[in-house]
Amino acid sequence: MTARGVVRLLVAWALATATACVVVHRAFALDLDEAHPREVIASVWREGHVVARAVVARVGEHAPSLDAAAGSSGATLVYESVVAEGPVLVWPEAALSLSFVPGQDGLSATFAGRTTYVTPDDLLAMQAYDHGITFPSMQMATGLDLPLALAAVTEALGVSARDLLQHGVLRRIRVARTVAGARPARVVTADNLTESDVRGAAVAMGRYLARGVDDEGRFRYLVNAPKNQTLPGYDWPRHAGATYFVAQIAGLTGDPDVGFAALRAGALLRDRALLRCGDRRCIGELDSEIADVGSTALAVLAFVELARTHLDEGYALVVPELTAFLRAQQRPDGELMHLYDRRARRPVDIQLLYYSGEAAFALSRAHALLGDARDLDAATRALAHLVGPAWSFFGSRYYWGEEHWTCQAMDDLWDRAPASTRETALEFCLGWQAYGRKLMYGPTDTPFDADGAYGVGPIVTPHLTPAGSRAEAGLATLEAATRAGHPAEELAVLDHQMRRSLAMLLRHQLSARPYLFVDPATIDGAMPGSEVDWQLRIDYSQHTGSALVRWLGLDAAARER
Amino acid sequence: MLSRRAALVFGIADLLTAAVVGTGVFAALPGRWWPVDSAAAVLTALEVAAGVGLVARTTWGERAARAASAAALALGLFTVTVLAVTASWLSGVYGPVGAGGAIILTLVAVMTLPYLVVLPVVQLVWLRPPPRTDG
Repeated sequence: MTARGVVRLLVAWALATATACVVVHRAFALDLDEAHPREVIASVWREGHVVARAVVARVGEHAPSLDAAAGSSGATLVYESVVAEGPVLVWPEAALSLSFVPGQDGLSATFAGRTTYVTPDDLLAMQAYDHGITFPSMQMATGLDLPLALAAVTEALGVSARDLLQHGVLRRIRVARTVAGARPARVVTADNLTESDVRGAAVAMGRYLARGVDDEGRFRYLVNAPKNQTLPGYDWPRHAGATYFVAQIAGLTGDPDVGFAALRAGALLRDRALLRCGDRRCIGELDSEIADVGSTALAVLAFVELARTHLDEGYALVVPELTAFLRAQQRPDGELMHLYDRRARRPVDIQLLYYSGEAAFALSRAHALLGDARDLDAATRALAHLVGPAWSFFGSRYYWGEEHWTCQAMDDLWDRAPASTRETALEFCLGWQAYGRKLMYGPTDTPFDADGAYGVGPIVTPHLTPAGSRAEAGLATLEAATRAGHPAEELAVLDHQMRRSLAMLLRHQLSARPYLFVDPATIDGAMPGSEVDWQLRIDYSQHTGSALVRWLGLDAAARER
Repeated sequence: MLSRRAALVFGIADLLTAAVVGTGVFAALPGRWWPVDSAAAVLTALEVAAGVGLVARTTWGERAARAASAAALALGLFTVTVLAVTASWLSGVYGPVGAGGAIILTLVAVMTLPYLVVLPVVQLVWLRPPPRTDG
């Protein structure tokens, strides 16, 4: 082939590809027209279920079937106006699954002249978003759960899924939602975030967790929120973390119900999970030969908080036994050996995510409560290792781990650590936050309400907990940087970053649209996994709630910066 | 006839392409999908043959290199088109895909273009048969 021939081929290919891109984009983009909705789907919801539905011409229009159902106790009338619709690819299956924007798009299906709708509210109530395509190795899921969504359609139309896909027409619909009788809700943003917003949200998260603590002291670890269904699974580190946060809220509010819940959870940890690790005590599963540093460190945080807030000062007696275990796991270079073989009675020198940071923070909190100099020394050496040799390699300025415990330890140790260690740690934490700022979504980066969130790509709904845990660390960093006298402009940038995250988290706290839940009072105040993933795990509320408590702990000038 | 140095450079480049395509598809991709796997297997085999043929200066080396380059170019252009059209489809469905989406797609394109578009084009032009002189 001649050079001229190759150039001609490439030009023709580039033109054909550009044309195909424009045609495909135009075919699938929605043309929103909120002023002239195509149809309005009116649904009456009660206890998380649709009890009546009709397609009407405009919002507020009455239909006999709707009026009868809407008049019953506990019913909510919701109008979903179809403001745009567009085609979907039905093959391959992955393309169909990815054809709906989570939380915003529903589907219409027409078969033999009849049309039915599965609206975004329907899909949220059945938790069909982000359950279509899973990537277990990345712990990530995206796309619509097609069997679940198509089951709703085929049931309404009385056809099989195969017939529907072969002979019917599926389209995506974008809706605007109007709840009859509801006032427009205030939208919390970085610029209008108030102390009252933050305090209310933190207390609601604490009360949500406290309501779930049973007589034995066990949390409702994982909950399907729309169905109010407790799902299987439990672990001690998250139990301890949740106990720590509930104790924080008990200290903040003086609410006796929250305080008793924290005490029951603390007692379960002490009575069921406190084990022998050689000559010392640790936290773990009774029937397991392996105990770990993370469970013990988080238990120390919980016990210190129970004692510090005077819920039960007796927990201070357990803390030294546990910190002795943590200290014994520390290597001369400051790093910790993260596992302990109880049968062989020796540490296992491997490192796992989070544990060293958790241990540094726990040892610092223990020293603040009890004043044992050995705990301070161990915490300082662990911190120095984490921000020094543990993260020193070519490229370490461009890639970071999850350091939310490390940076909380840095702030906690600020007045007690040597100047060189704390300044190195502060630079490290400021660097991590600057890295986070680069990764943080802005308002136009995704179709989601994600300004202030972190994610793995623009079409995957961002998870909320990373924003919560990074805000815990970011606020700790802000506090330390303020004490270190960093310039106001630098503090303002970090402050705005934190406000964006906190406002975004508050917007997603469960309290809006209670009609989609079987028992909205039970899950009120909880933090979900994401904007559309309404599974509730105890650490989701713990991380975000602890971040909010930290923001409340900033001095008034910092909060009003 | 290709010079000794040019044959060595193109041969090594073809072997490198074979390694990148083989490793990228069979080691890095998390799942198996026959259209991608079979195309990658055929291309890897062609590139290995071309690389060995050129480095060893066999009589069939240049023909193998031309065949491998044509296959790589066809596959490269098809891959870039599919990626671009997919990106257009995603941005049609999801609206804003922001800086994150642009960076991901640019990275993928940058990783694909040198091996599957630029190198085959250079090789096809360089290795084109001499014009016929039989009148």
